[in-house]
Amino acid sequence: MKNMDRMTNACILIMEGTNCEEETKIAFEKVGINAELVHLKQLTGEVPRELKRDLFEYNILMIPGGWSAGDYIRAGAIFAARIKSRLMKEIEEFVEDGNVVGGICNGFQILIELGLLPGFDGISKEPEAALTTNLNARFQCRPVYLKHVGKCTFTEKIDEGKVLQVPVAHAEGRFTFGGEDEKYLNKLIENGQIVFRYCHPDGTPAEGEFPWNPNGSLYDIAGICNPEKNVLGMMPHPERVVEGIQHADWTRTHPSLGDGRIFFESIAEFMRGNSK
Amino acid sequence: MPELYRKILENVSEINILEASDSELEDISRERSLGLSLGEMKKIREYFKREKRNPTDVELEALAQSWSEHCCYKTSKPILERTIFGIKAPQNICVISEDAGVVEFDGEHAYVVALESHNHPSALDPYGGAATGIGGILRDIVCMGAQPIALVDSLFFGPLDLPEKELPRGTKHPRFLFKGVVSGIAAYGNRVGIPTVAGMVDFDESYVGNCIVNVGCIGMVRKDKIAHSRAGDVGDIYILAGGKTGRDGIHGVTFASAELGAESEKDIPAVQLGYAIMKEPLIHACLEANNKGLLTGMKDLGGGGLSCAASEMAHAGGKGAEVDLDKIPLKEEGMAPWEIWVSESQERMMLSVKPENAERVLQIFKFWDVPAAVVGRVDDTKRIKATYKGKVVLDLDLDFLIRGVRYKRPYRVVGRDYSEREFEMPDLEEIIPRILNSPRIGSKESVIRRYDHEVRGNTILKPMQGLINKQTHGDASVLKPLKNSFRGLSITSDVNPILCRLDPFWGSASAVEEVVRNLVAVNSIPHSMADCLNFGNPEKPECLGDFVRCCEGLYFAASHFGIPFVSGNVSFYNESISGSVAPTPTLMGIGIVKDVRRVISVDLKKAGNLIYLLGETKREMGGSEYYRILGLEGGRVPRVYPERTKKKMESLLKAMDKDLVKSCHDLSGGGLLVSAVEMALGGDLGIELDLEKLGALRTDFKLFSESNGRWLIEVEKEDSEEFESLVPAKRIGMVTKETEIRIRDKRIDMNFSLNELRDRWDSAVEREI
Repeated sequence: MKNMDRMTNACILIMEGTNCEEETKIAFEKVGINAELVHLKQLTGEVPRELKRDLFEYNILMIPGGWSAGDYIRAGAIFAARIKSRLMKEIEEFVEDGNVVGGICNGFQILIELGLLPGFDGISKEPEAALTTNLNARFQCRPVYLKHVGKCTFTEKIDEGKVLQVPVAHAEGRFTFGGEDEKYLNKLIENGQIVFRYCHPDGTPAEGEFPWNPNGSLYDIAGICNPEKNVLGMMPHPERVVEGIQHADWTRTHPSLGDGRIFFESIAEFMRGNSK
Repeated sequence: MPELYRKILENVSEINILEASDSELEDISRERSLGLSLGEMKKIREYFKREKRNPTDVELEALAQSWSEHCCYKTSKPILERTIFGIKAPQNICVISEDAGVVEFDGEHAYVVALESHNHPSALDPYGGAATGIGGILRDIVCMGAQPIALVDSLFFGPLDLPEKELPRGTKHPRFLFKGVVSGIAAYGNRVGIPTVAGMVDFDESYVGNCIVNVGCIGMVRKDKIAHSRAGDVGDIYILAGGKTGRDGIHGVTFASAELGAESEKDIPAVQLGYAIMKEPLIHACLEANNKGLLTGMKDLGGGGLSCAASEMAHAGGKGAEVDLDKIPLKEEGMAPWEIWVSESQERMMLSVKPENAERVLQIFKFWDVPAAVVGRVDDTKRIKATYKGKVVLDLDLDFLIRGVRYKRPYRVVGRDYSEREFEMPDLEEIIPRILNSPRIGSKESVIRRYDHEVRGNTILKPMQGLINKQTHGDASVLKPLKNSFRGLSITSDVNPILCRLDPFWGSASAVEEVVRNLVAVNSIPHSMADCLNFGNPEKPECLGDFVRCCEGLYFAASHFGIPFVSGNVSFYNESISGSVAPTPTLMGIGIVKDVRRVISVDLKKAGNLIYLLGETKREMGGSEYYRILGLEGGRVPRVYPERTKKKMESLLKAMDKDLVKSCHDLSGGGLLVSAVEMALGGDLGIELDLEKLGALRTDFKLFSESNGRWLIEVEKEDSEEFESLVPAKRIGMVTKETEIRIRDKRIDMNFSLNELRDRWDSAVEREI
């Protein structure tokens, strides 16, 4: 934390049903970023004065995984609707200022619902894509391999082509543009918006094959960013593998650090660069 | 003839039991589904004679809750007290007496354990029943002030391929129950964000009419923050927090204390409705209030609802209490006071709070959008009172209510045929793939992956272990519960009901042994156990006889191993028209891992390594999976020799600490063969076994015996000398690069393709697709 600008603070946004906030906070702290768990109500002002927070006190906004409001309807829809009704203007300004916004798992679903991703022409009023029910219609908790195919703010430090092992845990993670897959997929590729794809251990694409691609996602998409590269959403959970011993097969491979750590280190480095 | 019911208030009646005949007493109990016997009704009549008045319906309902087998253990307690309750251990902090057991973890912290059944609700409404089972066990942990860190579930169903025409009337098909229960656990556990890290799924015909759903939870608490389920001081107030009270879950405990039958569907209102997204903030709020030192007591509302929670808290604190029913937040209008009093609506906690702290507590709940209301106060009357529209509708002596009944029912121990069968050895090349394809043995991956087993990021050894997408079942999962310490907890759940049915004593003792073996296999020291004892109707002497022998078996093994039972639950009346379930004493075992960086997984690591078998293989085939597949009955159930096993486990742990063990698996269901194959599957490596080292036993017995006290161990060649000097194990094979399982024994030389065996193992229950 010594080298970090005093202002570098991550806001980990939560509401009822968010449940990956603790490990996300720990992951930020391990790379020297202060992180605070902030309930949506604290940003919208529905709390006593001493608990109120201002989004612009932070320079990273992270929406962690979980089942916000239970996700009894389309995953992420309720959280996004609450943000839209009370906080959208601030979020728009926050993103347009070039601050970093991330969403993991449920957070990714929320960013899509909010129109922040894919955000072809800026923030869209309606969702332009969807993360829908896994092809096997089942919740899946399993390690997957990800190939880093395009850099964004969150992955600046990760070499292109690098393969990471990160777990997924979701029931709705199949990325799709519905009937217009081809048209928009090309746009994503052209814009360099695809950040992670599911792959085999050697980096060859999963090509939709289960379990390497755990949900049937279009073009093995696991994570995308906006065209400006400061908003990232991904289904896998890097915060769950910041230490070697958190990996599913560490008793075979004995890695010293977890593959997810470099993701948080990239943000830290970006922040250091920005504060210079 | 005098009127039985006399209305004294809107929705409240007085029941004239003082003048009721015996048959009328029985009618009252039956009509109101009280589940009280004639003897118990008479006891109640005596009490009200002394009180010189008749009871209200609220009072009678309250007694029915507290006196149900489910709530007061009236049959089981005397047996438990002379067996498994008696194991003292220095790590015990607060065991047996409260909703969960509290055990020392390190100087500053304790872990908290609870295990419970949710059988009857799950048999009727598998999704809802299992989901609320998770909800209930989480509350048991939270009410000790602990943060839940892991869930465990042990499930028992009828055969999934049961022909429709063999399904008894009014019974739901095992496949429907299986899918519903797994979905219910996933829906609740995943939403609430606590990882489901261990458990088991087993199948047997005896569970067709009555599936078994046991759910466990483990939590962590700082020792100075342990909360207790009792009222604080006189003048403290009761705050009821969480979900609103509705008509769901009325008579849950009396329903759980009766046999299931063809007409049980009518009891569906006894099943509660869960709402995980109320539970998640409820946990946050309760723990925040407790950590700030604002509570003098906390108890969850489970079986018996408000009635049991308000009464038991006051009783445990040696106080009395008064509750105002008009203050209870309700889901629906028009609920009668007795309904409010006994409803088992979910996600509710009762807090005892000093009046000056009430506002701060209410503020915390408001922040989390969890309803909370002041509903009563603690007094010194040693009575529980409830008022409704300003009138007292319940006023009972707490000792009478809580300690009212206890039975010494007659039991009979039934002998079984334990003679070993003589038969020709069948074609092993045909039998081996069949054993791996048995649903009892085969892969449970399709269930395990439905549960988030690593949310919170602390699951260091996961339930599936090995090469990615080639993973196999682990012996135990390991958690690292503290941020700044590498000390860990290992968790396993075990029982083999087929062994217990044939021999309740040795079957139960074997369950303890299996817990020990599993915990040791990952390099941890067995530390405590929780039990969930699922049996049939205890009013049948032979059923209670099984229960007694089971408790004695558990006690025998656990006391010799020095492992205390710290928490438990008894579930009787697991019967349906097709009879009683196999005696099912489900155990959850917890071990201490000195350093999570040194745990050992089950998957083979490297070709060329040596395979050792520790422990003696005997012809103990009773209850084995091999016999079940061959359709053979009888046989000797494996014995437990705690002193010998202790010596072996100490030597094995020593070798593990010296980093001499590369992988390790205990031997249990399916014997040596299944353990060897599972290790090979996880590493995607072959294995060569030479069984001649095991002596003169027939090859099939060597492969499939389920003798206790055994582990299979992988050791590097260069470590073999040091390993052998520490561990009295036999070298029986080698890890090979070729993915084949090769078995040699005298004239026998068999070779199986690992991929073919994997295919059988993968598809035994339900293939992941």
